[in-house]
This record gives sequence, structure tokens and C-alpha cells, in this order.
Amino acid sequence: MHAIQQQYWAVRDYLSPVLKESKFKEHGRITPEEFVAAGDFLSYKFPVWTWEKGDASKARDYLPIDKQYLVTRGVPCLRRATSLAYTDADEDAERLLSFGDSSGAADEWVETHAGRKPTLDSANTPGEIDDMPDLDGEHELASAMGNVSITSTAGATISETPDLDDIPDMEEEDLEDGEDEATAAPKPSVHSSGGVIDASQIDVANGNLLQVRTYDVMITYDKYYQTPRIWLIGYDENRTPLTPPQIFQDVSADHALKTVTIEAFPHSATLQAASVHPCKHASVMKKVIERMNAGVVEEQLAARKKEGKEGKKKWGFGRKSAAKDDKSAGDEDEVEGMRVDFYLVVFLKFIASIVPTIEVDSTTAF
Amino acid sequence: MPVIQFAPFASLVQPAFWHELTRMKIDVLRLSDESLKVTGSYSVGRCIRDRETGQDIALGCNLSMGADAFERAPQMPTMSVLASGVFKNYNTIEDFKAADKAALFNDVANEMWSSAIDKRDSSKLTQFLLITFSDLKKYQYYYWFAFPAFVAKPPWEISESGWKGVDEQLSTAQLESIFNSLHAETRPFFFVQVTSDTAQVHSIDQAETLFSSTMTQSVIVGFLDPSASPENPGWPLRNLLAYLHALYSTQTSSLNVICWRDSEIPTHGRAWKSRFGVVTSAGGKPNVKPTAVGWERHPTTNKLSARMADLAPMMDPTRLADQAV
Repeated sequence: MHAIQQQYWAVRDYLSPVLKESKFKEHGRITPEEFVAAGDFLSYKFPVWTWEKGDASKARDYLPIDKQYLVTRGVPCLRRATSLAYTDADEDAERLLSFGDSSGAADEWVETHAGRKPTLDSANTPGEIDDMPDLDGEHELASAMGNVSITSTAGATISETPDLDDIPDMEEEDLEDGEDEATAAPKPSVHSSGGVIDASQIDVANGNLLQVRTYDVMITYDKYYQTPRIWLIGYDENRTPLTPPQIFQDVSADHALKTVTIEAFPHSATLQAASVHPCKHASVMKKVIERMNAGVVEEQLAARKKEGKEGKKKWGFGRKSAAKDDKSAGDEDEVEGMRVDFYLVVFLKFIASIVPTIEVDSTTAF
Repeated sequence: MPVIQFAPFASLVQPAFWHELTRMKIDVLRLSDESLKVTGSYSVGRCIRDRETGQDIALGCNLSMGADAFERAPQMPTMSVLASGVFKNYNTIEDFKAADKAALFNDVANEMWSSAIDKRDSSKLTQFLLITFSDLKKYQYYYWFAFPAFVAKPPWEISESGWKGVDEQLSTAQLESIFNSLHAETRPFFFVQVTSDTAQVHSIDQAETLFSSTMTQSVIVGFLDPSASPENPGWPLRNLLAYLHALYSTQTSSLNVICWRDSEIPTHGRAWKSRFGVVTSAGGKPNVKPTAVGWERHPTTNKLSARMADLAPMMDPTRLADQAV
């Protein structure tokens, strides 16, 4: 069933026309050209993001051959999203974050549950998110079998140790004679100086070990929904690939198994990755952009009045060409508002609300 | 003076590599278990600031392999460098277990030593060995990495002042010029020649010229450091020191070393992450080929043993169908 569904999506993707007209402010969707422009800006401003060409046979012809999707590797994830308890008591913990120059009041961003602590209890028992129960009762036997295998997978997630029992004698301690004194122990026992510590040194007293997972994050362009789409491949602290139930521990409970699912990654023949379904991206992005754009326009107008030509620097991040300045300076009433280059930066902030503990949003330095 | 403890490489295999291996195994390699050349990569050591405790947490000293491992020269992002490796896939688990691992390891180590010392080729100083057995039906991959490093006898020591922040030694202008040079052309190993207010980055192959000049005190040996642990320089430094010591034993009894860890120029009042230290060696015979160590230990048991990646949850069609909503 899933395979058929994926085939259907592939055909739908193939048949849907490429968006030509740019209207990102009206409906939150972008064209492939704008995706490339926004991606160029993101990778220029934050070099952790790089363009990839992916599998040549899967290349999309509406995107440049060497700019098929964006990737950043080894994004840390210190805690499980399931360990962040969302309670009503947290409602006052909202914090206003601001974009760019915070003089305008309109361009602020609410971070909810700021400064919340993971409760010890929930951190010790990161909630297992099991599979969705099969809704159609027709295949009772099959679903029962499925549940059996899944329970065992979910149960294994706690220890996360690959079971080597079936291949005894894999240990070969005699391969190297003795301990090598110049090899650093995997976990330094002493508190090291320099302010940098090993993950094992945090919260040890509470019996609440920090498990630093890392994620490879990809952003592709979804032709059907005409928005970017995010993909995640995770590794545990021993660099073993995460299973789907483990990945869902890092997705806020509102989204796990609803909008975040495991799908075939479009730029590889076989790879599967967790993905945030893009069906609501456009409307959410539209709201965010509307809010921000109002602030940007206001700020640009104010800046124009105050400083003339130079005032536009604030949202251009120094990349505005002189030609553009001249043109808009000639037309006093029309300001540019938010540029589409900024789209992916905003998009990452939105994604950060879905995967709150994965530090995808490297843009807070702004 | 304390012995320098180097942070070993930790292998990180992207699932895309296992997918690529599966394709190679079925379409290209079939039953061949010949050794192949592969490439991996490592980048500067990173740490992450924990938003709740405000502490910086060091991330692993990773050497990663991805889908492009079988390509000759995959593209590299800045502040990442390639490492070449020897890859051998076995057809059965019995072959995998019975493999003469010591011989395979020694082959790689000998090749490293001869190319570095006899041919004076510094590009082969970081190499790895990867042996695998792929159980394609169960989507399970058994694998074991080795990162050969030459053992110095007597070991290298760090001076009493220890490893310290690089900004205690060099000015911001000097650091920025090193950064800009590395950003334009990222090198695994390099020399820094410090003049009053700037610093020049040279290729490691210019050791001869730099060591023979009278200005040896202003020369710093640098390397791209995959470790983020403040007291432990990364694994590549070991072979760099062995290489320099074997070729220039008289000039290398004491060396200034910079462990480069900055992927961007620090902002918001943060400090540079790179480390600086003075390392010394009490001699040792430069002409004798040293022994090498470097099999990766199992991350959970800390024993010398192979490990397994179980990709069934992400590859097995029936398991994936269960996940689908």
C-alpha cells in the first residue's frame, strides 16, 4: 500500500507543472529559481549548508544540475523532544526573539517554552512513540505480526547496542599489544579546562546522561507543494543510524507520525529518510512572511526617511547591489519588503518548532 | 612533562554509503573481494553550546564516509579534507572473521610509511582501512575501521604550559590571515610562518626550506584538527609528527603546534577554538619504522571488535510499510 502511495506521489510530482510566477508573499510558495536563490543565500551566509547534486538519474531538470538539494551534516541534538514536557505552566515562558535590527516591534518571533527544563522523570524515560495502530481491521494477522516486530525494535532503542551475540568471537583484543599510552581514553574522566566538556560530563550527578545525537539535514524542493521540504537522517551517540521510532523521539509530539514520516528521499535511488510533510508549509510560511514583511517594510520606510539611500542595509545584509538602491531610491513610495533570499532562513525557524531539540536553526546569530 | 594523548578517529558511516555498497555489491563487485580504494573525509572539530547549561560540549572526532566514497575525487566543503582508505568486503561472515587483520593493517601502515618517508609524499599521512561483511538479505552490515598511527618511542610530550587557546599565542590579525588562507584552500597539514602582524600559510612540503631557515622559532606546524576536546589533539597529528621526526630529526626535538578547529571567524565575543602547544620529543631513532596502532574500538564495549549497522528499520520494505501512515 505504501509503495503504491509513493508511486502515486511520484506521478503527481511528475505531472504537476513547475511554478513559474513568483508570488511568495501572497501564498508562501516559491519557484525553483527562488529556491536556488534562497539556497545560495543560505549557503553563502551559513557555510554549514552546501548544495549537493545527488543521484544523477534522479536529478530534477528545473533545478541546476549541481544545485539539486541543500545539506548540512552532523547537526547536534542534545536532548529528546519527548523529554520536554509541555505543560500549561510553561505558558508564561514565552520569549520574544527578534530578527535583525530589533528597533521595529513587528518583527519579533515568539519562542514558546523558553528556558524550560526537561523534567528528570521524562528525561530518564524518553517517551517511546510507537507506530500508529493499523486502522483498517482487514489485515489483523498482518498488523499483529507488524506490531510484534515493532515492539522488539522499540524495546531495543534503550540499549541501542547492536546485538553481536549471533557472531561470537568478534572480539580480538590481541590485535594490538597492550594499551597505547598516547591514545586518549574515549571518555576523559577528569574535568578538562578550556570550557569545553565531553557530553558524558553533563548531568552525571542526576543519573541523567546526555545523549548527543547528530542529524544530517537535507532541504529539497517539492514541486507539487512548491515549497522546500526537509529530510532528516539521524545517528545516535555511537554514530549508529537511528531507527524511525528513535527519530520520532526528536520530533515534537504534535507532529510525530502526523506530519513527520519516513519517505523515500527523492535524490537517491534507495535511501529512506524522515521528512516533514510539506502540505501545510505554504500557509504557515505565508503567515510568517506576512508578519515579518510588514515589519520589514515599516523599517525600510523609516530608515529611508531617516538616512536616505543608506538605510536599506538592514535587511539586505550588505548584499544589495548598488543598482537596486538607485532604482528604489528613485521611487520613494515603493519599498521592497522582505526578499525571497531570506525564505529558507525563515523556513528553518519554522522547522525548528517541529524538531525543537535538533539545532537546525544555525541562524540565531542574526 | 605529560605524554600527549591523541583523540582517536571515530568512524561515522552515512546510511547512503551502505546503500551505495549494496548497489556496488550487486551490480559491480558481485563475488569479488578485492581491495578497493575509497575516500572518507573529516572536518574541523566542533562543539555545541548547550542552551540549558551554557556549557560547550565537544562533538566526536569523526571520520565520515558517504555515498561518494567510491568516487575518485568527491567535492569537499571548506574546512573538510579527504582521507583515502583501503576497503575490503567479504562474502561470508566466516571470511570476515577469519581475515588476517594484522596483515591487512600492516600493509596499509607500510604503504603509508614508505610513501611518506621514501617518496616524501605527505598526502598519504591519513589513511584508513575498512573491512565489511554485508548481509544484504537482513540489511545488516558488519564493519571494522582501522586508522593506522605510528607509535613514537619515547612518546611525544606537551610542555608544562599544556594546550592553550590559540589567541594567547597569536594576534587576531594573524589568526584571521590563517583562517582566510585555509578558507580559500583547506589543507590537512600546513606550516604557519609568523611575522610581526600577519601569518603566512605554507604547504607541508616546504618543510625543508622552512626548517633550514634561521627563523625556525617563528614556524608553527599546523593541522586541521577533527578533535574538539581541549586537551587531546586529533589523530592526524600523530602521523604528521612521525613524518617530520623521521625526516628532520634534529629540528623537531621541540615543535610549535597549532590544532586548527575554527570553521568560521568567531563572533559575539566568543574565543577562537583552535589550540596551541609546544610538543617535545626526547629523541628516538628516526630511521627505524615505528609500529602502528589504530583499530577502532567498539563504542559501547570499548573492546577491539567489529561493529554492526542494522539498516533494516530504514531499508526493509516490509518494516517501512509498517511505518507508513
